[in-house]
Amino acid sequence: MSIVQITSLKKYFDSVRAVDGVDLAIDQGEFLVILGPSGCGKTTLMRMIAGLEKPTAGHIEIGGEDVTDLPPRKRGVSMVFQSYALYPHMNVFNNIAFPLRAQRRELKFDKRAIREKVENTARVLEIDSLLDRRPRQLSGGQRQRVAIARAMVTQPSVLLLDEPLSNLDAKLRANARDELKDFQRSSNITAVFVTHDQIEAMGLGDRIVVMSEGKIQQIGTPQSIYDDPANEFVATFLGSPSMNILSAKRFRFGFRPEHFLPKTLHDNPENSRIFHYYVKRVEYLGSDRLVYGYVQGHERELTLAKVPSNVRVSLDIEGDYEFAVHNRDIKYFDNISGQRIEQQSLAQAF
Amino acid sequence: MARLSYPLDNRRLVGIMFLTPALLYILLLVGFPFLLAIAFGFSDVTVGNTDLNFVGLRNYFAVWENDIFRQVFETTIRFTLVSQIFILIFANILAIIFTQDFTGKWFARFIFILPWATPVSLAMIGWLWMLDTKYSPIDYLLLQTGFLGPNGILSNSRNLFWLATPDLSQISVIFVQVWRMTPLATVILMAGLSSIPTDILDQAEVDGSRFMRTLLQIKLPLILPIMVIALLFSMITMFGDMTVVYVLTRGGPVDYTRVLGLYSFQVGIEGGNLAQGAAISLFAFPLLLAMAIFMLRTASRAEVQ
Repeated sequence: MSIVQITSLKKYFDSVRAVDGVDLAIDQGEFLVILGPSGCGKTTLMRMIAGLEKPTAGHIEIGGEDVTDLPPRKRGVSMVFQSYALYPHMNVFNNIAFPLRAQRRELKFDKRAIREKVENTARVLEIDSLLDRRPRQLSGGQRQRVAIARAMVTQPSVLLLDEPLSNLDAKLRANARDELKDFQRSSNITAVFVTHDQIEAMGLGDRIVVMSEGKIQQIGTPQSIYDDPANEFVATFLGSPSMNILSAKRFRFGFRPEHFLPKTLHDNPENSRIFHYYVKRVEYLGSDRLVYGYVQGHERELTLAKVPSNVRVSLDIEGDYEFAVHNRDIKYFDNISGQRIEQQSLAQAF
Repeated sequence: MARLSYPLDNRRLVGIMFLTPALLYILLLVGFPFLLAIAFGFSDVTVGNTDLNFVGLRNYFAVWENDIFRQVFETTIRFTLVSQIFILIFANILAIIFTQDFTGKWFARFIFILPWATPVSLAMIGWLWMLDTKYSPIDYLLLQTGFLGPNGILSNSRNLFWLATPDLSQISVIFVQVWRMTPLATVILMAGLSSIPTDILDQAEVDGSRFMRTLLQIKLPLILPIMVIALLFSMITMFGDMTVVYVLTRGGPVDYTRVLGLYSFQVGIEGGNLAQGAAISLFAFPLLLAMAIFMLRTASRAEVQ
């Protein structure tokens, strides 16, 4: 059952089409990640769901009710900002209690109920010992928990998260990601998480919405988006290093560096496509070797291979090798639109 | 070219060059007169006899025992405090209005800044006409609307005598001071309001906070330190001001609107007793200093982030 239903939503800022016709259904209890490069419209989309931005056209339904013209407080959503936006002059208790007090009339709380709710939420997020502190006395990770506690205390139907992990240092981030996912699963809340970080998106999302230039490029599970990209943008945006794209006469084709391996490593080379590969440079990355070079016939298009280090194949600089890609790992794209072309239809075209 | 730019690469030299105008300004126009006033305050100098003979605290005792001085001192404090209350209220309201989005905002801001941008003496001459005993346009409007004149609601007379009765003259002076000082306080508060991160205000909105709650619990507490600075500015300006009353009332009727700055001027320059004039103006100094220190400390303590 979908809890949020978005229909042909548009937001234009003068001539800039920030969000340009988005249709999206968000399911109850899912962790949906909106992924895209900066300026793709993902934050604007989220702000429209929150009610902070008025759409130019289109509709938003939350819990079956059309909320397109309702202010944020009547939508039952809450939000965690990238900066956490904690109220600097209030202690942690008052920060968490703020939405309860602000919505006291709608939610019908008395003082005791507020205290109870704040303390319960703080306990769940393990910040109950920090209730008297001011935001500036907290670490980055603690601030993030306070922001989440404040967002959760009203038991919203949707929790919106705008890059909440980007202010944490790398070590904390992996940990925070794990905790956030656990917390979402155990509270069974619907979460919409905006990020430009594909690792975060892959790790957290039940489904990922890939956006570019105000439009949805693809919706799907992390694996389906990675393995079956709908177009060249999605194919090259996900994965690090990104997919190799080579030009043919009437189409382009691509394969991921980790699928581009010396021919000898393939079990049955008859299902693979063989390339003559000239190695220009090799980077040793610990678990992998990253090989830079050129495929014969495509000397202007730098092609990368990611060879696991435990594979004992010597790769010398300025050497010529036979590399291969399994046929199923080659994706074909339309020369002009960039849309994916199925292999069968391609065969007919030849 | 190289020769010309070489001295400008010298950090010390450039530093001194940049500091000199400000230092000269402070030394010549603030420091020197201030030291001179202190010297005068401990002497028996007059316009007629410019010899500086040290007389200790004699001037200060004489001034303190003077009933007029005490009344002037009290009037100054009262005017300052009362006008600050109104300035704070109006400046807050105006700052909130001017930070909202509406058409004609630019023009409205421009109009409201004018009282502060106009030279004081010029603006006061305008007010002198507005509050004229006989020809005040305010009186005229009140007369036309039936508030004044025979059977008038406010008075049977055709005039209210804005600057001539004890109560109204004080109210008029305070009103004009509020009119004059509110724009600066408004501009300072506007700067404070627009420095609040938009994330915080968006967060408050998502949290369900309405206009008044956001104003009272988020915006005002966050701009409190800046509000103290604004208050400090207008208080110090007003405490030492003499132009407004000098043009409008010359301290009258009787002594009702005589303030410290004016009294010091009248005794020291117009009366020729430079020593006592200096002593009078110096009475304000420790008070203003204490006020400034107290307020700046409050501001830095309330400072967030």
